Amino acid sequence: MTRVRSLVSVVDDDESVRESLPDLLREFGFAARAFSSAEEFLESDCVDQTSCLLLDIVMPGGMSGPDLQRELTLRRQEIPIIFISAHADETVRPRLLERGAVACLFKPFSETDLLGALTTALRG
Amino acid sequence: METSSQSWVRPLFIGAIQDVTESKLAEAAPRESEREWRRIVDSIPGLVATLTPAGEVEGVNNQVLEYCGRTLEELKQWGTSDTVHPEDRPRVIEVITQSMASGDPYEIEERIRRFDGVYRWFQVRGLPLRDSNGRIVRWYDLLTDIDDRKRAEAQLAGEKRLLEMVASSCPLTDVLTALCRFVEVTSADCHCGVYLIDWSGPRFRNGAVPSLPATFNDPTDGLPVRREIGPCGQAALFRQQVIAIDLETDPLWQESAIRPLALAHGIRSHWSTPIYARDGRVLGTFAIFHREPARPTRVQQDLIAQVTHIASIAIERALSEAALDKLRSELAHVTRVMSLGALTASIAHEVNQPLSGIITNASTCLRMLNADPPNVDGARETARRTIRDGNRASEVIARLRALFSKKEFTLESVDLNEATREVTALSLSDLQRNRVMLQFELADDLPAVRGDRVQLQQVILNLLRNASDAMAGVDDRPRQLRIMTELDAANRVRLTVQDVGVGFDPQNVDKLFAPFYTTKIDSMGIGLSISSSIIERHHGRLWAAPNDGPGATFSFSIPRSSEAVPSPPNRDAVRAPAATDAAP
Repeated sequence: MTRVRSLVSVVDDDESVRESLPDLLREFGFAARAFSSAEEFLESDCVDQTSCLLLDIVMPGGMSGPDLQRELTLRRQEIPIIFISAHADETVRPRLLERGAVACLFKPFSETDLLGALTTALRG
Repeated sequence: METSSQSWVRPLFIGAIQDVTESKLAEAAPRESEREWRRIVDSIPGLVATLTPAGEVEGVNNQVLEYCGRTLEELKQWGTSDTVHPEDRPRVIEVITQSMASGDPYEIEERIRRFDGVYRWFQVRGLPLRDSNGRIVRWYDLLTDIDDRKRAEAQLAGEKRLLEMVASSCPLTDVLTALCRFVEVTSADCHCGVYLIDWSGPRFRNGAVPSLPATFNDPTDGLPVRREIGPCGQAALFRQQVIAIDLETDPLWQESAIRPLALAHGIRSHWSTPIYARDGRVLGTFAIFHREPARPTRVQQDLIAQVTHIASIAIERALSEAALDKLRSELAHVTRVMSLGALTASIAHEVNQPLSGIITNASTCLRMLNADPPNVDGARETARRTIRDGNRASEVIARLRALFSKKEFTLESVDLNEATREVTALSLSDLQRNRVMLQFELADDLPAVRGDRVQLQQVILNLLRNASDAMAGVDDRPRQLRIMTELDAANRVRLTVQDVGVGFDPQNVDKLFAPFYTTKIDSMGIGLSISSSIIERHHGRLWAAPNDGPGATFSFSIPRSSEAVPSPPNRDAVRAPAATDAAP
């Protein structure tokens, strides 16, 4: 039986993140897709396939990361979310975790942290 | 003394000197002896001369002879000799010729040579004497010494011009040069210099020494302020005027440092007068050099007093402007540093993005190389990305360093569009975090301006931040921030920042730009006043208006590069009339 790789979706407006993260995820053994906005992700056909979401917090001009989190909850899409952010704002972390996020990683994060968060996300 | 008996015997000169009128002259007076005539004429305090109807000098009184130090025969040659100043002679001849023809009295101001060669200004009034038939028999000239008045007028005019230069922010060097030239023209045959004092040395610095060559001026620049230097050193230290009448022979100055330099340039006397600030500090010295041993006359002392007073004003003004500039730069620096706190998030964001990319790509690279077989192509690509992100990070640091480094006002050509893009890039994350939506409307062919790039960016940053703060509580509409650049109708480059925030009461518009006015809890309220100051320094204007809808619009406009001249244009140097003591 072919083992279906888990799909990790990356939603981040920063191009270099969309470039580099999927490659690392594939090295981890995941399948990976990148989207430049929450809207783009929602409009794609990956929503049901996504086992874990790596989600930027601040994305200009449209839905933010937390907005997408709320939207997915409304749609009853229980996708584990790992927030990633370049803003060193510690105050947002508790709220996001309260609302069900698996982890909140601040850039730059190590691959160990990332792998740890992914493992936790996919275990549960 | 030669006289023509005929000319002296006939009509008598009667009447008060100040009030000689034609009618009085026309009164036929009783005949008097020639001696009586002479006695009366010689007793008149003024200078009197008589001319034939053709304009030739017929006779003069004693006062004329004593003043000119010449014989009547010599004076008769006035049309061609130097009795009348060569510059004035053509005009005098013309006026007299006209009057001789028309018979109208004349009044001329001219310079007449004194016995010692010095020219003084006289007012010459000529009145015709007619016989009973109305024919002119002779002309009577009354010469009044108005030299003091003319001199005072010229000095006043010169002083006025100099003060205008000071008031119009002319560069200090120009004002001091004009001052020296003013004295050199007014006093003649001298060289002037203004020496400024840098008390941190203390050292002399050449302020302006326009008529002496570099071989004299180069060695004096930077000389220590010590009594051994010479008159200027002593004047500065002892706070009084020091007169060296003869540097060559006076034992007092034998050992002075200035002596060899002065003598080598043909300078014999050196007068130095301190220039005081209002608080009594000595700002510098005003020096007058002569090629002959000389001591100052009363007139020259008055001139020195007048000139050192103006020099004092000019130097103090220049010093306070320099201090103000320095303060502005420091304040701008302070606001930049203070806003460091507010920009921490931006800095973190800007640097964290590329850092994150580096770590992610490097991790990927290692894994690819550890694979079996190694994914060398993939590793190569991640390595390339790593380098690219590394460069991104150092660019950010460099930009930030430039923004926060303390610099003096530097002039360069600035493209406001580029400056705007750079500043918004730096604050992008901050703005995004506040959910501000940026809308750029930057004119395509925006002309450059001349100014300090970093200070202008400081202003733009200030406006952006204020706009963002103003929209902090806005939830019912998109937090739109428009940035526009254009060449406005007055041919000035204009930048506008428009928000949809809380706006302001139009009545408070003046207060907005005043220091320490703020509506924000954590703000000192100096951003706009400093921005205003910066724009003014660029010869521009910063203003604000509430929008028709919600929010406010802030704009500044600056002259475009071809027009802007950040330091004021030079006025022409002072040109005083040639009221000289000696023939040129």
